[in-house]
Amino acid sequence: MNIKEYIESGILEAYVLGSLSQEEQERVAADIARYPELAEEIAAIEDTMWLMAQAGAEEPPAELKGKIWAQVDNTIPGKISMPVSPKTIPLTRQLSWQRAAVWIALTGSVLVNFILWSQRNNTQEAQVAVKAQLDTMQHQLAALQTSTQKQAEMLADSGMKTVVMQSMLPGHPMAATVYWNKTNGDAYLAMQKLPMPDKGKQYQMWVIQDGKPVSMGVIDNHLLKTPTVSKLPMEVKNGQAFAISLEKEGGNPTPTEVYVLGKIS
Amino acid sequence: MLLLQQRSEAAFNYLYQNYAAVLYGIVRKTIFDEQTAQDVLQEAFVKIWNNIDKYDPQKGRIYTWMINITRNAAIDKLRSKGEVMKSKIRTGEEIVNNIGQSLKTEQVTDTIGLRQVVGGLEPGYKAIVELAYFKGFTLDEISKTLDIPLGTVKTRMRHAIKLLREHFKQ
Repeated sequence: MNIKEYIESGILEAYVLGSLSQEEQERVAADIARYPELAEEIAAIEDTMWLMAQAGAEEPPAELKGKIWAQVDNTIPGKISMPVSPKTIPLTRQLSWQRAAVWIALTGSVLVNFILWSQRNNTQEAQVAVKAQLDTMQHQLAALQTSTQKQAEMLADSGMKTVVMQSMLPGHPMAATVYWNKTNGDAYLAMQKLPMPDKGKQYQMWVIQDGKPVSMGVIDNHLLKTPTVSKLPMEVKNGQAFAISLEKEGGNPTPTEVYVLGKIS
Repeated sequence: MLLLQQRSEAAFNYLYQNYAAVLYGIVRKTIFDEQTAQDVLQEAFVKIWNNIDKYDPQKGRIYTWMINITRNAAIDKLRSKGEVMKSKIRTGEEIVNNIGQSLKTEQVTDTIGLRQVVGGLEPGYKAIVELAYFKGFTLDEISKTLDIPLGTVKTRMRHAIKLLREHFKQ
């Protein structure tokens, strides 16, 4: 075979453009496999076509990418078979099965679109739920951050006494901390580990002064939900211990069931 | 190639980022309607993705393979649409005229587009490349449509691509 003549004939260009009949296409493919010079020429033509195609590049709308990914993700690989070599359909021969194929493809496309559409709706609902959850978490995180920061500040304050209250019920690991400023009487409460009281019950804060418990007020149950440091609504000038007890809603004049207690050293 | 054949989302992203715009450009040259063109790109991309393990590096470059799948999808759509719409079979003269018209309208938006590059060719060469590349005509069909001997079609095709090669070398 005269390679030069073969190249000059223009058949390789037609091959790359996919303008040959199926048989010719296969014959040229076989020739290319046999003669490296032809493969080299093909590569050069392909590069030209690529540059040509690049010159005509046009950005598709951004949302198309997600649409395609959703579709490929749902199709089972290998199910759709399709000839990999360029194919040509003669313009003149339009058979009725082609029309059938068009309708099948169309119906399939409508079906897939509907599935995608309903999937999208579900995704949107899920998204709203996740966003709400995220908001709550963000809120909790912010509260935790403020609380931690405040506790750190109070720990660093040398005028501040830290009184850790330990569990008085064996087998129930509970704890809370009072940060107490002896000079000005300010006291802050941080509840690290206290269970949520049953309905109709509430925690009550106490300071033991001269051996007697003095109420410092009841603790709102909602404070247990997020980690907080709350200022206690009473100035404490002296005392020997702090304690938290479980009482009926609204509190009691004297503690009934002490949960945690911490001596002031 | 290995990465692509794993069909991971990263591979898809890579493929899409590097080829979607070029392939969309090709579809748009054949199909003017934007919505249809997007459908075709989607179709072609799914085909490419599903058949990536059938791509044979021995037969040519991967982009040629992808371009051909895309062109075939576009041409199939063009023809099936024509079939559905019962449009009359256009004569060669009409097709050439249509190409001329679309040239004029597209040059407004597509300043460095492929059509313009091709448009720089002499009319005799231009029609051949346009018919082959954008309309999916076989050599035989081009020969009959333009009433040029088959051998001339081939040599003109070669000459046209040679000119393009030189154009891109600059």
